[in-house]
Amino acid sequence: MRRRRDQTDRLLGAGAGLVGLVAVVGVLAPLLAPYDPQALVGDSLDPPSGRHLLGTNDVGQDLFSQLVWGARPSLLVAIGAAALTLALGVVIGASAGLVGGVVDRVVMRAIDVMLGLPLLPLLIVVAALAPPGVVTTVIIIGVMMWPMSARVVRSETLTLRQRGYVRMATGFGGGLGYVLRRHLLPALGPIVVAGAINVAGVAVLLEAGLAFLGLSDPTRTSWGLTLNRALTQQGLYLSNQWVWWVLPAAGAVTVAVLGITFVGVGLEPRLNPRARREPK
Amino acid sequence: MGGYLLTVWVLLTLNFVLPRAMPGDPITAMLASNEAVTVDADTRAELAAYYGMDQPVAVQYVRYLDGLARGDLGVSVRYRMPVTELLAGRLRWTALLVGSGMVVALGVGLAAGVHAGWRRGSRLDRRLLVALLAVRNVPPFALASLAVLVFAVKLGWLPLGGAATPFFTGGVAAGAADVAHHLVLPAGVLAVQFSAGYFLLMRAGMVTQLGADHLLLGRAKGLSDRRLQYRYAARNALLPVVTVTAMHLSFAVTGSLFVETVFAYPGMGRLAFDAVGARDYPVVQGCFVVFSVSVVTLNLVAELLYTRLDPRVRA
Repeated sequence: MRRRRDQTDRLLGAGAGLVGLVAVVGVLAPLLAPYDPQALVGDSLDPPSGRHLLGTNDVGQDLFSQLVWGARPSLLVAIGAAALTLALGVVIGASAGLVGGVVDRVVMRAIDVMLGLPLLPLLIVVAALAPPGVVTTVIIIGVMMWPMSARVVRSETLTLRQRGYVRMATGFGGGLGYVLRRHLLPALGPIVVAGAINVAGVAVLLEAGLAFLGLSDPTRTSWGLTLNRALTQQGLYLSNQWVWWVLPAAGAVTVAVLGITFVGVGLEPRLNPRARREPK
Repeated sequence: MGGYLLTVWVLLTLNFVLPRAMPGDPITAMLASNEAVTVDADTRAELAAYYGMDQPVAVQYVRYLDGLARGDLGVSVRYRMPVTELLAGRLRWTALLVGSGMVVALGVGLAAGVHAGWRRGSRLDRRLLVALLAVRNVPPFALASLAVLVFAVKLGWLPLGGAATPFFTGGVAAGAADVAHHLVLPAGVLAVQFSAGYFLLMRAGMVTQLGADHLLLGRAKGLSDRRLQYRYAARNALLPVVTVTAMHLSFAVTGSLFVETVFAYPGMGRLAFDAVGARDYPVVQGCFVVFSVSVVTLNLVAELLYTRLDPRVRA
């Protein structure tokens, strides 16, 4: 099994590297990008040159600067959606597990129905109707994805509730909030982290996907919007434009999602309580 | 079954509530798609009355459900034809695309999974695992764009997009070949994405079978390795594939939406994409109803099928 562990560690390292790269680029965007990504700084459809590393798009915006600034919405949505989803999931799931009874049954029923709703079609309808932006995307993803984490948290809470130290705390009059904060949250840690990574990956994909479909604020910069603009361009394929217009943005989304997935897979042996308990 | 009906009801109700809960009203949205027209308050009121929007919400809701029951999804603002007709024309292309992608993915993914799982830890297994895990995480629109660039632009083997050559004037057989020619690339992209899921599932199923008693007995009886692999292990590992096939259909819907958009394939996904761009809300909502209700229905079918296939669940 030693070898297997090495393999997941390598995956974890690679994933952390990719995510770190995106994070650094996003944070340092003002320093790295030579131009304002929205400013019209060059001719239309310039090929790559010393002045414009990845050329310009149809209205003369610098594509390299767009690539750099595009890391930001991806990161923001990933972090925001993961935080919101997990916050909702933990509070609702743990409360249902601790309170039990009618509350538990109602929550479980709601979770079953919500898990049956298809994510993307719903997302498209809401995104088409709501004012576009990072906040909207985060809220939609959070509201749609909490049931999955709530379900896991609830089932884990049910087993934790029977542990001696939790029973003792409630026996001495510890309230719901106290037990949740003091005993459940620390114990739920690994599940929460695993869930957060999963949601972050989905969020990056969805953010880019919605922008790609034209469902995000067109005055902002994101990888999906760059792709949307490129692919609605007539005659995109008649020249080599796509090499510096489509490939970098598509590659950037792929790098971000792959990085997050690798981190998730790499961390699995450490986070999964079942895998941990197995004798190695 | 009760859960299914509840879910469908929630979906249909969301479709009614969401547009009314969002900022702006449908009349403004409808007029915004035709910005050259400015209307005074009287005309607005008339329009609202025409579309029944001056009625209490409860009345509107009953009318909405009544319309749905009669297959009325409203009228497209852009195409000026009933949404139902519009969808019916597009649905078959999506069915063709997703169906053929799914069949190829099942074949490839399952075969690869049976091989890799049977020889777990081998070089082939490790390589397939990493490669397909990676493929599964490439965004569908990125994979589709890449496929267009390589096979249509650079190599020129296949058409850039569309479902058939416009104004095609060949025989029936030539027409079918033309459609198939246009189908290869988009369906191929979908197949690559789906097959990763099937591979992982089948591989995991095979791995759990590796130490099973009935395999040991089969080996003791002197059955060939091939027979054990396919007739014994694979047969049992196949069971979860049924459920997941249906559950993956929601991903298929997602995938086809992006793939159709990139390839300008005249299916439901492209229709939804164009409708979003044109702010054609009745069409967006119609696509939503058809997409979501069909996904939920297929999940129900899978569940029913599963209980028939596995006697243990029936008890």
